[in-house]
Amino acid sequence: MVIRPGTRPLVLLAALLLAALAACGRGGSPETPPAGAPPPGRQSGELRLFGADPVTLDPAVATEVASAGYIVEIFSGLVTFDRDLRIVPDIAERWEVSPDGRTYTFYLRRGVIFSDGSRQVTARDFKYSLERALDRRTGSTVALSYLGDIVGAREFRGGRANEVTGIQVVDDFTLRITIDAPKSYFLAKLTYPVAFVVKREQVEANPRGWTRQPIGTGPFRLREWRLGERIVLEPNPHYYLEPRPSLSRVTFLLAGGSPLTSYENGEVDIAPVGLNDIERVRDPRDPLNREFQQVDELSTFYVGFNVRKAPLDDPRIRQALAMAIDKQALASVVLRDLVRPANGILPPGMPGYNSNLQGLPFDPQQARQLLDQAGGPSRLAGLTLLTSGVGGTPGPIIDAIVAMWEQNLGVRIEVRLLDFGTFLTEVDRGNFDLFSLGWIADYVDPENFLDILFHSGSENNHTGYANPEVDRLLEQARVEQDQGRRMSLYQQAEQIIVRDAPWIPLYHSRDSFVVKPYVRGYTGTPFVVPHLRYVTLQR
Amino acid sequence: MTRAGLWPYILRRLLWAPLVLFLVSLIAFALGRFGPGDPVRVLAGQHRDPEVIEEIRRERGLDENFFVQYGRYMAGVLHGDLGTSFRYQGLPVWEVIKPRLWVTFQYNLVALVLVFALGIPAGVWAALHQGSWRDPFVIGLLLAFAAIPVLVMVPVLQFVFALKLRWLPVGGWEPRELFGFLELGILSKNIVIPLLALTLPGLAGVARLVRAQVLEVLGEDYVRTARAKGLDEFVVVTRHVLRNALLPVATLMGFALVGLLSGSIFLETLLGIPGIGSYAVEAVNARDYDGIMALVLLTGAAFVVANLVVDVLYAFIDPRVRLGAEAHA
Repeated sequence: MVIRPGTRPLVLLAALLLAALAACGRGGSPETPPAGAPPPGRQSGELRLFGADPVTLDPAVATEVASAGYIVEIFSGLVTFDRDLRIVPDIAERWEVSPDGRTYTFYLRRGVIFSDGSRQVTARDFKYSLERALDRRTGSTVALSYLGDIVGAREFRGGRANEVTGIQVVDDFTLRITIDAPKSYFLAKLTYPVAFVVKREQVEANPRGWTRQPIGTGPFRLREWRLGERIVLEPNPHYYLEPRPSLSRVTFLLAGGSPLTSYENGEVDIAPVGLNDIERVRDPRDPLNREFQQVDELSTFYVGFNVRKAPLDDPRIRQALAMAIDKQALASVVLRDLVRPANGILPPGMPGYNSNLQGLPFDPQQARQLLDQAGGPSRLAGLTLLTSGVGGTPGPIIDAIVAMWEQNLGVRIEVRLLDFGTFLTEVDRGNFDLFSLGWIADYVDPENFLDILFHSGSENNHTGYANPEVDRLLEQARVEQDQGRRMSLYQQAEQIIVRDAPWIPLYHSRDSFVVKPYVRGYTGTPFVVPHLRYVTLQR
Repeated sequence: MTRAGLWPYILRRLLWAPLVLFLVSLIAFALGRFGPGDPVRVLAGQHRDPEVIEEIRRERGLDENFFVQYGRYMAGVLHGDLGTSFRYQGLPVWEVIKPRLWVTFQYNLVALVLVFALGIPAGVWAALHQGSWRDPFVIGLLLAFAAIPVLVMVPVLQFVFALKLRWLPVGGWEPRELFGFLELGILSKNIVIPLLALTLPGLAGVARLVRAQVLEVLGEDYVRTARAKGLDEFVVVTRHVLRNALLPVATLMGFALVGLLSGSIFLETLLGIPGIGSYAVEAVNARDYDGIMALVLLTGAAFVVANLVVDVLYAFIDPRVRLGAEAHA
């Protein structure tokens, strides 16, 4: 069909549409659902919301939030996070840690049945699942990050061993995992999908296609996955933890559309609120205001510097650039309080978060002084900021930052917009002066931010930042058994990092959404944790 | 007019089609491979594991020479294998595209029928009322619809029919099963807004063409003769005028068919319709190489076929086209 651009007053349109609608022969009749009944076309007990199409439902392979959100409801592992982000038993009923902190013995719950009702889960299933994730042929890009601490994992991965020696099946319901050093955050890593249990017979029978109808052990099971259209979950009748799911069905609409409009029209029960609607939803006179909720997410968005090369190897220049940015204005004016301004690296809600951290303040005058000491604005000539942008533009945040630098320091930073894949490749190779990116927690431990992103030996240390003092603190924290001392080590490291400024932390995001009043127990979560079994509908 | 000249003409046109598709596929393949972006890197996200990334690239043959990759892909296509998706990790592209093709095809077909079913009477009516205010009013109105971009039309339709009148859902796709195997999304109320957004702007083109053709035919001698014989005006219009005026309109239909397979990116994205258009956006963002290729080939093939149909129709209607082609050959 030909659709041409142009504009035309709307009033005329509305009247004419009525005629056209009648001509279509399907003018619907107005209907309001009676109180207490589900809306037309819906099953009772069905929760409807928007979702994104997962890349895969294979827990070993998934790397992104969209896939993980479904996987944590369909599958489960030894341990999990509860909604308050504490590590709690899942299939492992309890566990013991050896005195040297290196051996974990998990005692599995008896009677955990796969969702197809076929058989019980045993320790051998875990050994199989973890080894499968680590097997290079499975193609998991995250397995080593999560399971690489296990003794023998790297040898197995490299093909030098035919099993992971650190994973031992003691008996049907006892599993022993040995790690290379007493890392207390190891348990947190086991909450991630890559450590979930899969059913060997199913995977081996159909290695490529099994994820279209996966068999798991999670609170829900997949009823229907129509690519690009919808995912429907239904309760897993064999689920073993209380509370069991109360919803009869959860339908995720994957095709996109207009979430808030659909929400107002009663077609979905939960909808995200974006920048365009936030003003309206915040207005106390708007009916949506009472249904609005915000939850801090465990994420930090930042500008990173290439500290390996001049002029950004000079901390004074990095500090000057950091102190020329008004983060409060970014958060409240540009992003309308959809985010919180960031002072440090760790987001609020993360253990070890330090509310007394001495950040670099917004101080244009001192910023100019620092820059002058370091050789003046001319040293920054020709620098480029890499970004993958927002919908084909650099986005409001980058525009604002560049304007602040120009206004407060008189320097002009060029912006180079790349698609996400190319962007990551360039950042991997160190082909950048500055870049903007965000980091979202994989598991709840400060190691996941500070060690992974700032230790000089980490694969994910994109800026090239290397400070022996920081390395020492981070290495100490890895194996420190006293949690209080451990957090204090991370706080010391964070303080030094913030002063050295390989990053300008910009903001922490918040999940902003509206929920219908009859949906009970739906709380946003700071990152992906299973939570749908707590939701009930009370119409 | 003999039919002898028609078949060689069709044959010549058919020979061009594979060449065109070959060039289209080669260019699209090269743009993907040499353009920026890397599907494996997009998939891996921020966790870096160079070894596995290399393994995946090797397994998918991305480390090989361009022509080897192209040759292998096209050999697969000729055997009915459209490749493997990155966006939907490991799934065959055909499995990803098939349900979406069906979705896009359904609602576009209905829209196509509506455009012609409403556009033709509107054009005839306008032509018959030439000289009165009715003619410019109807055509002006339809042009106004055609002038509204879909990005404006859709939100207005949603606002009026869903939020204010509460007659319709704001979008979405609710298929119903018929006879146990046929899944139709065009039976639900969800489809009304997309159909309006697709049909209204399309009416002007058909109506104007029909109007112009009817006016031309109305001036012909045989119409005057028919009227002079005292035939009823309705009979004159349906038997004599329409039959002659509608032939060129049939060719317009050929191109409208392309829409059946290509879908509309904006419409599907705004309204949450899981068709080919919304997948195109996803596929490009994820650098879903094989998926993009499949879309290009499908749309390309649809276009080539539509062109062929139009050319053949023209040749059939108007022998001069065929003769001209022969003279140049």
